[in-house]
Amino acid sequence: MNKDFELIPHTADIKIRVYGKNLSDLFKNALMGMFQAIGPQAIGCKRVEDRLACNDLPEKRDIDVSSFDIESLLVDFLSEALYLSDIHNEAYLDAKIHEIDDKHINATLLGLKITGFDVVEVKAVTYHDLEVKKEGGFLMTDIVFDI
Amino acid sequence: MKKEITREDLVKINEFCYEISQSFRPDMRVPAQVYMNELMMKSILGDRSLEQLVNVATLPGIQKYSLAMPDIHQGYGFPIGGVAATAIDEGGVISPGGIGYDINCGVRLLSTNMDETELRPHMQKLATAVFHNVPSGVGKGGKFKLSFEEIDKVLCDGAAYMVKQGIGTENDLEHCEEGGCMKNADPGMISDRAKKRGLDQLGTLGSGNHFLEIQKVEKIYDEKVAKAFGIRQNLVVVMIHCGSRGLGHQTCTDYVRRFMSKIPDFGIELADRELVYAPFKSPDGSDYYNGMAAAANFGWANRHVITHLTREAFKSVLGKNAWLTTIYDISHNMGKVEKHYVDGIEKKLLVHRKGATRAFGPGRPEITSVYRKVGQPVLIPGTMGTASYILVGLNENMERTFGTVCHGAGRRMSRTQAKKSVQGSELRERLEKQGIIIRCESDSGLAEEAPMAYKDVDNVINVVDGAGLARKVARVVPLAVIKGG
Repeated sequence: MNKDFELIPHTADIKIRVYGKNLSDLFKNALMGMFQAIGPQAIGCKRVEDRLACNDLPEKRDIDVSSFDIESLLVDFLSEALYLSDIHNEAYLDAKIHEIDDKHINATLLGLKITGFDVVEVKAVTYHDLEVKKEGGFLMTDIVFDI
Repeated sequence: MKKEITREDLVKINEFCYEISQSFRPDMRVPAQVYMNELMMKSILGDRSLEQLVNVATLPGIQKYSLAMPDIHQGYGFPIGGVAATAIDEGGVISPGGIGYDINCGVRLLSTNMDETELRPHMQKLATAVFHNVPSGVGKGGKFKLSFEEIDKVLCDGAAYMVKQGIGTENDLEHCEEGGCMKNADPGMISDRAKKRGLDQLGTLGSGNHFLEIQKVEKIYDEKVAKAFGIRQNLVVVMIHCGSRGLGHQTCTDYVRRFMSKIPDFGIELADRELVYAPFKSPDGSDYYNGMAAAANFGWANRHVITHLTREAFKSVLGKNAWLTTIYDISHNMGKVEKHYVDGIEKKLLVHRKGATRAFGPGRPEITSVYRKVGQPVLIPGTMGTASYILVGLNENMERTFGTVCHGAGRRMSRTQAKKSVQGSELRERLEKQGIIIRCESDSGLAEEAPMAYKDVDNVINVVDGAGLARKVARVVPLAVIKGG
């Protein structure tokens, strides 16, 4: 499976379905999916098939998040990225995951300065419909963002 | 346990109200009631909003019904347009998701005191001046940069702090729900991270469905009440729709996280994790309530500063004597402690209004003395190409919906669908042909908020009026739309 994430129709908010071959992959794709879904605008990057394509992701933000299960960890990880994005005007399209298990992640977010989002800003990552499942050897989950 | 809700599960109470019986699911503590008519039913059954409404009926301490207003649509946890009142002295809970991430998202209405004929020649310039003076869109910081010390004062005193700083007037505060400040606010209950997000966001609109519109009063339904509200036919008004920005979003996120970690302590089972709650009478519950109030105060200060920036813009075009008078300011994402009668007994309730507007009838002490005799003004923002409404609260609705009505038209189409249905540039052209001036940088953002993505606001308001949830006072239509991406 080559899919990383896809948009799922939702009446009012943004919903994505995220896939990953392991936990690390799932978290990276969720991060990328959250930002790509809202169309970051950055100088010097191209838009290819509704996604921002950048040669370089120069901004690095180290994060260390602990939580009490996979779903909470995913919400807390993405919420941390949103907080950093709002404070620094950055979007994160990739991450180096140094350590990860069901309750803890240590990673470096990789991103770039942005001038805005083409679609909308995400207010929050919600728990609605969030359940990390294993299907056909892959991990997947839906995530609904309040916008 | 979850099962699909069909047409057969909706029992017709009357032309405008349907009920899902408490026996529909064993975990329901009360029945669910939806205010809608036949015309809306298909779109409401088309998403998962009623399932969410049934989930809300499981909250401990919930009274009478889990309620949905006619603009109901699928949200997360609560449906948008959802109302739940929990009895504080009967183990009632407070759910941050039942108030929403955008705490005190709401609407302020200003009067220009001038008619359309006088202002029409200046409309292009006014739209441009407002667009440049009121920051909108993602990542656009405001003109007012706050220190940590100052933000605590904003969180404590809301719009009243801004008046002390010489921004806006006492008269603005008298025309604002809660006087623009919830007294129980405690800045100590707001995290440094939330405060940090708020430091440069005062006086900014944000993005999404938030907007500022210059509108004209197209039709008056109730002359007497309209006069009391200071509105007349053809009057030009300004409607501001926005909330508490990143500070509010972070506050809700912080408390959802905290409550989630307490699930084992509370010993609760949730129909949807996003409904996570704490007993109102617990340290967690009261910390959130006081933090929510502080974030709400930031929301009022935000709309207050936007009012000031809009006044500056109007003065730059019309001269220094131009002024905008605040008609009213309401919140539609809020939790409030209120006294209501439940089956003849007065109870202290925590009323969650998630995308729903308080609409109190005449005489209630919570209403500003300016409008107490006629009832609370209710401001319902519509969609770009259609209309918004001004209504008045009614006493006969106090027991049925705890004095609550809808908050807008309510979406019926996803953003992706909306974008597929219409190009932003085409929509811009179409609206401008109707005489509506558009100031919005993003065509994509425009298309997502296209009028056809929403329910017919006239139908929604007819249900509100027909069901007696509130009474129509005036219909207003847009002359200029200013919005972020």
